[in-house]
Amino acid sequence: MKKILISSIAATVLSTSAFAHFQMLYTDNMALPKGKTVELTQVFTHPFADEHTMDMAGVEEFYVINKGKKKDLMKSLNSITFQGNHNKAKAYESKYKARRMGDHILVLKPKPYYEKNEDAYIQQITKTIINVAGTPTDWDSELGLKAEIVPLTKPYAIWEGGSFTGIVKSKGKVVPYAEIEVEYLNRDVDTKNNKMGKDIVTAPQDSFVTMTIKANKDGEFTFAIPKAGQWGFCALGVGPDKEYKGKELSQDAVIWVEAKPMK
Amino acid sequence: MKKIVLALSFMISSMFAHSAIMSCFDNADGTITCEGGFSDGSSATGVKFKVEKDGKIVFNTKMNEYSEVNFKKPSGDYTAIFDAGEGHQVKIKSSDITE
Repeated sequence: MKKILISSIAATVLSTSAFAHFQMLYTDNMALPKGKTVELTQVFTHPFADEHTMDMAGVEEFYVINKGKKKDLMKSLNSITFQGNHNKAKAYESKYKARRMGDHILVLKPKPYYEKNEDAYIQQITKTIINVAGTPTDWDSELGLKAEIVPLTKPYAIWEGGSFTGIVKSKGKVVPYAEIEVEYLNRDVDTKNNKMGKDIVTAPQDSFVTMTIKANKDGEFTFAIPKAGQWGFCALGVGPDKEYKGKELSQDAVIWVEAKPMK
Repeated sequence: MKKIVLALSFMISSMFAHSAIMSCFDNADGTITCEGGFSDGSSATGVKFKVEKDGKIVFNTKMNEYSEVNFKKPSGDYTAIFDAGEGHQVKIKSSDITE
């Protein structure tokens, strides 16, 4: 009986792990009062439960777009070892001078990660949008990425209790009824020491760890944000690339949003 | 006539619904860049801009086609002023302008 219980706990952990990977492109504040150099952490993890941090396989593209101008940031990446609550993993850190006013769309395209449990690869094309001083410039731009969530709500200007609306697209075409995973970043990120903090909230049941929602026929979805902090949205397998090194590839679209407390 | 009234009222409400925004930074080469804009994303091209020092205007121009202005950094304390009309002025003190 004990063995069965242990196996079922292991299965639960495995299944949770298998469905909740999130590429983070983290900075501690997406709405900057004025321009500054921001610290960024690129780590592949499970932001709610943090039960396992994955080794990033490398980065294919990392760039920023501000006022329509694209700037390559690949050379700004430094390899680090990131300490999760259960293990260490290969990750990156970088600094970016967000000096000019308006929106800075940061885009990270990591190399596909091999997920042993599924014998398949995962590539999460990730956007984080920082705003300087409050004037909107680029936040709703459609970049035509292979997998992309185009925001209809400014991802950095959401009050706690507000909502986020986006459209799931693949190379500019909407993806009807896309499956989207939603997770709360359930901890502080210590960017100085490259480590995760402890849990902030406890989920009453597994379906609250990674919340799964669906887009509508037009690829649109809305999610009410119940708590201030950062939230990740990941549209699964929406990209056109389905195979990598002879194995299945899930090319996902990730966007991070931040809700601020009303105080 | 009804259409004209509706269009006009929308334009007026738009004008008052957004707020003026400015951000300045020190280029570390003896010049300052100030960028202007509005909370609805509209352009600040042609909006008045001035620099005051000791109560006197030492620089007076308009925002360029990119909604920005570049000027020689005055010595001592000064204030950069983005002037988009009554209720739409933004002032930034030199002490708040960093690299």
